[in-house]
Amino acid sequence: MPVIQLRQALREAMSEEMDRDENVFLMGEEVAQYNGAYKVSEGMLEKYGPRRIIDTPISEAGFSGLGVGAACMGLRPIIEFMSWSFTWVCMDQIVNNAANVRYMSGGQYKVPIVFRGGNGIAHQLAATHSHRMESVYARIPGLIVVAPSTPAEAKGLLKSSIRCDDPVIFLENEKMLNEMGEVPDPKDGDFTLPLGIANVERPGKDVTIVSYGRALARVVRPAVEHLANDHGIDAEVIDLRTLRPLDTTTVINSVKKTNRCVIVDEDWGYCGMGSGILFKLQKPLFDYLDAPIEYVHSDEIPVPYNHYLEEAMLPSVDRIVASVKEACYR
Amino acid sequence: MAVTSEVEKRSASKAPGVNGAEDPGKGQSERERLRMMMLIRRFEEKTEQAYKTPRKLPDGSVAQLIGGFCHLYSGQEAIAVGIAAVFNKGFDALVNGYRCHGHSLALGMDPRAAIAELFGKETGCSKGKGGSMHLFQAEVGNHGGHGIVGGHIPLGLGMAFAQSYKKTGGVTYCLFGDGAINQGTFNEALNMASLLKVPAIFIVENNGVAMGTQVERHSAEKDLAKRGCGFNMPHYHVDGNDVDVVMEEMKKAGDRARRGEGPCYISADTFRFRGHSTSDPLKYRTKEEAEKAKLRDPITLYETRLREKGLLSDEQQTALEEGVAEEVNRAFEMAEADPNPPLDSRFDDALSETYPYQPK
Repeated sequence: MPVIQLRQALREAMSEEMDRDENVFLMGEEVAQYNGAYKVSEGMLEKYGPRRIIDTPISEAGFSGLGVGAACMGLRPIIEFMSWSFTWVCMDQIVNNAANVRYMSGGQYKVPIVFRGGNGIAHQLAATHSHRMESVYARIPGLIVVAPSTPAEAKGLLKSSIRCDDPVIFLENEKMLNEMGEVPDPKDGDFTLPLGIANVERPGKDVTIVSYGRALARVVRPAVEHLANDHGIDAEVIDLRTLRPLDTTTVINSVKKTNRCVIVDEDWGYCGMGSGILFKLQKPLFDYLDAPIEYVHSDEIPVPYNHYLEEAMLPSVDRIVASVKEACYR
Repeated sequence: MAVTSEVEKRSASKAPGVNGAEDPGKGQSERERLRMMMLIRRFEEKTEQAYKTPRKLPDGSVAQLIGGFCHLYSGQEAIAVGIAAVFNKGFDALVNGYRCHGHSLALGMDPRAAIAELFGKETGCSKGKGGSMHLFQAEVGNHGGHGIVGGHIPLGLGMAFAQSYKKTGGVTYCLFGDGAINQGTFNEALNMASLLKVPAIFIVENNGVAMGTQVERHSAEKDLAKRGCGFNMPHYHVDGNDVDVVMEEMKKAGDRARRGEGPCYISADTFRFRGHSTSDPLKYRTKEEAEKAKLRDPITLYETRLREKGLLSDEQQTALEEGVAEEVNRAFEMAEADPNPPLDSRFDDALSETYPYQPK
C-alpha cells in the first residue's frame, strides 16, 4: 500500500471526486494560484482550471454562504477555510443557512457541501487562531462533523463527505498535514469510509480510551504504548472519526467489556466535545462502570503564544497515563 | 452517478419560456398584475387581523393563530409583482429576507399554503417548520424567506454562481431591506459577485426605515444607490412603487446578467404602510409622511394608469377586488381548518441521508 502524506490524501480525495462528478468544485482563500495556503490543493488549478478551483477574497461569510446557495442549487462545493478559527465570522452561514435551510423549508433542499480546513492548535498562533471548533459545530442538528486521525481516514472520510447530501464539517489539523500513512492505492478501487461509525483501532481489555483527530494522533497513541509497556495496562482505543452523529454503540459496547473509560481531546473541558460525549455515555453505562469516566482535555484558558505555555495547556502523554491509572485504580 | 438536488430535477425538463407572451384579452396581463398586488394587500390585511385576534378554543383557552414575528409587505407590492412578471420559473431564482409573503404569492404560491405556514399547519409550504419569515417554494425558484438580516445575501451569490457554473441561463434576484446593507455580508457578497461576474441582481427594497431606524440614522450615505459604489457594477434607483418601471428595469437587469455582463445593484425605493412587524405601533413615523406615501400607493397608481389606458373598467375593478377577497377568505378558512403537523414530524427533514452513511 502506498505511504503518503495526509495532505496528499486530502488532495487525492478531492481530485478523485472532482473526476467523478462535474458538480464538485473547490473554493477558498489561496486554493488556486497560490496552490493552497498549506499546499493541500497543490496542482489542482492546473489540472481542473479556474472554473472549478476558485480563489476568493478574504470574505469567509461571502464564500461559505456562496457554497450553501450553490449546494441548494445542486452543486457540491468544497469550501476550504484556512483555519476553522476564522469561521467565527461566518458562523451564521454554516449554522443558520447550511444546517437549517432544509429543515426550515420542510425538506425542500439537499445541502451537499463540505466545509474543510485546519482545526485546533497549530503551534504558537495564540488564542484567536487556535480554536478547537468541534464542540461548537457538533451540537448543531443538521450538520455532520468529521475528524480524521490518519491519512487513510482523511481520504476515505473526505470522499464520503463530498458524496454525502448533508453539510459536513471536516476538521483537519495543520500540524497533521505532513503525517505519513498507508492509504489504499486508487488502482485497487474506490476507497471510502462510512460516516457515523467509530473505529476500534486497538482492541484491549483493561480500559477504553475514546478520542479523535489530533489528540489521538499526537498523544493517545504514544500514551497507549507507554501504558502497555510500562504499566501493564491493555487499553482499547476508539477513534470516533465522526463526532456528529456520534457512534455511541461502539463506545458503549467497548466500555461494557472494559468497565472503564477515559475520553481525550484538545477541547476545553466545560461544554467541550468530551462533555458532550460524557452526556451520551453516563446513563447507558452507569451499571457497567467500575470507576467514574475520566476526561482529559485542555486547560480552561485562552491558548497562550509561548511554546512551553501552549504545550503545558494541552493533554499530554503523562496526563493521559495518570488519568488511565486513576480509572484503573492503579 | 452524480446526485442532483430535488430542485434541479424538478426544473430540468422545462425549457426557458417567455413571460407574458400570451395576452388573450387586451389588458389581461396588466389586470393580472393589479390583481396580484390586490391579493397581496388583502392577504396582509387579513394576516394582521388574524395575528391580532386570538381565537377562543372550546376549552376556554385562547390560541394565537399566528406565532412569532410577522412582517407585512403592504405598500411594497409593485416590487414583488414587477419581478414576478419577468421571472423565468424553474430557471431564475429569488431569495429574500423575512418580509417574504408578497414575493411568494407573486411567484405563484397558493395563498392557502402561505397562510397555513403562518398558522404552522401541516399544509404550510414549509410544513409548519418555517413560519412567516421562511416561506419557500423551491420548485418555482422561490428560495425563501430568511430570518437573519443580510444573512441570505451570500446565498443569492451562490445561487447565481450555480446558474453560471451550470450555464442554466437563469438569473438570481436577491432582495433585502435597507437595514441589511449595513451588514458585512452585503459587502462580501456584492464584491464577490462582481469578481466572479455571476448573474445576480441585488435589490434593496428601500422603504426608508430599518425596523425603526430611518435611513438618515443608519446609513452614512443617505443615497442608497451610492452604497453600490466600489463594486464595479451598475448601481441605480428604481421607483419601487411603479410596477411598470420595476418590470422594465428588472427585465433590463436580468437580460444584462443573462448575457454574462455580471451583477447589478438596484435601490427600489418604496414605503411600507404597516409597522416593521405586526407588534410595531409606528411611533417613529409622522402622519404627514404616511399621508404623502398614500398618494403613491402602488395599487392606486396602477389602477389609475390602467383606467387612463382604458384597460380597467369599474366593473372589472370591483370584480378583481371581490375576487381576491373571496380567494383570501377561502384560503384562511381552509388553512384554519387544516391539521397541525403530527408531533413525530418534528424529527423529519433535518438531514437528507440516514446514518451510518456509506456512499455507493
